[in-house]
Amino acid sequence: MSLLDDPKAAFADLSRPEGWVLGVSVAFVLFLFVAMLTGALGPTYFLFLVGLAGMYALLSFGLNAQWGFTGLINFSVAAFFGIGAYGTALMTASGSPIAGGFSPLVGLAVALVVALALALLIGIPTLRLRADYLAIASLGLAEVVRLIVLNERWLTNGSAGLRGIPGFFDGWPVLSTFPEAMPGLRLEVIPGSPVILETAFWQASLNVLLVLAFAGAAYFVLRRAHRSPWGRVLRTIRSDEDLARALGKNTYSFKMQSFVLGSLIMALAGVFYAHLNLYVGPGDLDPITTFYAWVAVILGGSGSNRGALFGGIVIVTIREGTRFLNDVALPIDPAPLRLLLIGVVIVAVMRYRPQGVLPPQRELIWPSAVGGGGTPETPDSGVRERKGGGDDE
Amino acid sequence: MSEGALPKEDAVLRVDDLQKSFGGLAATDHATFAVERGTITGLIGPNGAGKSTLFNLISGFYEPDGGTVEVNGTDVTGMEPYQVAEHGLIRTFQTPRKLEGMTVREAMLVGPRKQPGESFLTLFTSPGTVAESESANLAEAERILEDFEIDHLATQPATDISGGQMKLVELARAMLAEPEVLLLDEPVAGVNPTLAKKLKGQIRRLNEQGTTFLLIEHDMEFVMDLADPIVVLDQGHVLTEGTPEGVRNDDRVIDAYLGGGR
Repeated sequence: MSLLDDPKAAFADLSRPEGWVLGVSVAFVLFLFVAMLTGALGPTYFLFLVGLAGMYALLSFGLNAQWGFTGLINFSVAAFFGIGAYGTALMTASGSPIAGGFSPLVGLAVALVVALALALLIGIPTLRLRADYLAIASLGLAEVVRLIVLNERWLTNGSAGLRGIPGFFDGWPVLSTFPEAMPGLRLEVIPGSPVILETAFWQASLNVLLVLAFAGAAYFVLRRAHRSPWGRVLRTIRSDEDLARALGKNTYSFKMQSFVLGSLIMALAGVFYAHLNLYVGPGDLDPITTFYAWVAVILGGSGSNRGALFGGIVIVTIREGTRFLNDVALPIDPAPLRLLLIGVVIVAVMRYRPQGVLPPQRELIWPSAVGGGGTPETPDSGVRERKGGGDDE
Repeated sequence: MSEGALPKEDAVLRVDDLQKSFGGLAATDHATFAVERGTITGLIGPNGAGKSTLFNLISGFYEPDGGTVEVNGTDVTGMEPYQVAEHGLIRTFQTPRKLEGMTVREAMLVGPRKQPGESFLTLFTSPGTVAESESANLAEAERILEDFEIDHLATQPATDISGGQMKLVELARAMLAEPEVLLLDEPVAGVNPTLAKKLKGQIRRLNEQGTTFLLIEHDMEFVMDLADPIVVLDQGHVLTEGTPEGVRNDDRVIDAYLGGGR
């Protein structure tokens, strides 16, 4: 049922945590909006944050497709993110040591192909084995990729990184000139603190458009895949791989598909990042990105696409929100406080809601198949809701 | 009796001279037997006789050191479990793990083989086909749950039902895979007597409808009542094979169980 058909029923359909998340999100957006109007938060910076949130959402979507769906432990999120970022940067940047100057669409294609090749390279030897082997191999892979980027100067420019990356829409009709073509706007909602919207703002809104397109497409694909028989096999593998094999499922192939899909989505996040930041360096491959993606997925609820989205937004809020604490006198530095806060959030979630804030709730059967016979989509009052308290089995 | 019972006219499963060693231990030692189409064949033997190893060898989970396994006349030796399943041999496990986050009918829907919706691309190129097969499979799953008299569990979380009910669901799900021969590993271990009786009735009913069974079971009363013929395994090889009556009165079988042989 859609929100438009029957808003009241759609809201009544929400579970309590869903209601909470919705309420807090609305309040948060209002808060940001007020902050923007009063001039406390620059609109361009705000759009940058939205872009970052979209990027983290993509990373968590990717990891969710691997860990949340299939139970694959991938510790090389940062590597696939970096491959995406460097893939497009090497093709498009003016400072690229090998190619450069190509259209960002070429960059996108190259990034995805390299990520695909890398996913196959690491998947082929490990996915036939138990889950632990992928975990170990991916941990190593992340470091190998980072060290190659750092040391192979002929290829990547080494520690200097790559400058001169164009915006994603450069060279496109209409969109490339859109930011300059738009007039500067001056809004004065609250007297004395005008909000000025100019070229940088319009440039930033293009980036938001791009990340919305990427994340929207990823979400659409994952949502459909998750509730399909394909997704059901993945979820079976997560609980009991031998059972899936005994029922005639080629689990190696399914695991590979899940791994590749997730890796491509992570690379997509990297492509977006390169064209948002216009500079990439080896520091972007630091393992902290992997850590953030894992926190986002666990926090949101493993296996849930909405949860991954939510987790990604929370991560950005904590990461960027703590910057504002610079203005407040605190007994400790904001930088370590950031990690501390994330630690506290994770401990709290594990203690009080181990299944995550928004676990996948409804039964996942291809939607139109359930329609006729039984009660549609809502018979179980939260499958995941009941588990995870440690009281089953 | 014994190995002389081979070859059988219409064997759906044929195990020939199968061997598997772990280190120096011959877990399966030149085992030879066949399961005739339409039977419920019992596989018994004392603890450590190699019953589970044999199941794993037949279903492709272990690779044999020697010998062959034939399903429906096709040599499936050394194939991956999913390929063996594609040839019509489906197995269940001694201790079924519950599928987290799935309802019972969802867990059932893992059963059908070769669903169009199991191909990632089809989800986007032909969603109509996926919806059609999903509807049909769901209807079939609900029908089978009804036959098993557990349709009231359909929308329960699979993690919430009892172990005995789970065994019923497993059997029901295996039926959705339309097996030619179904291997059941201790179907009534840890199941209460009422449910065990129900399971026995279901296995008998499905057998009458044409499914061939090979089952491992420790509950002698259960297996003697249900299965015919019975294959007795001891120390990895087939000790004897015959009717429940014949097996029960065979001195070698009694020796094997009571340890008189050694």
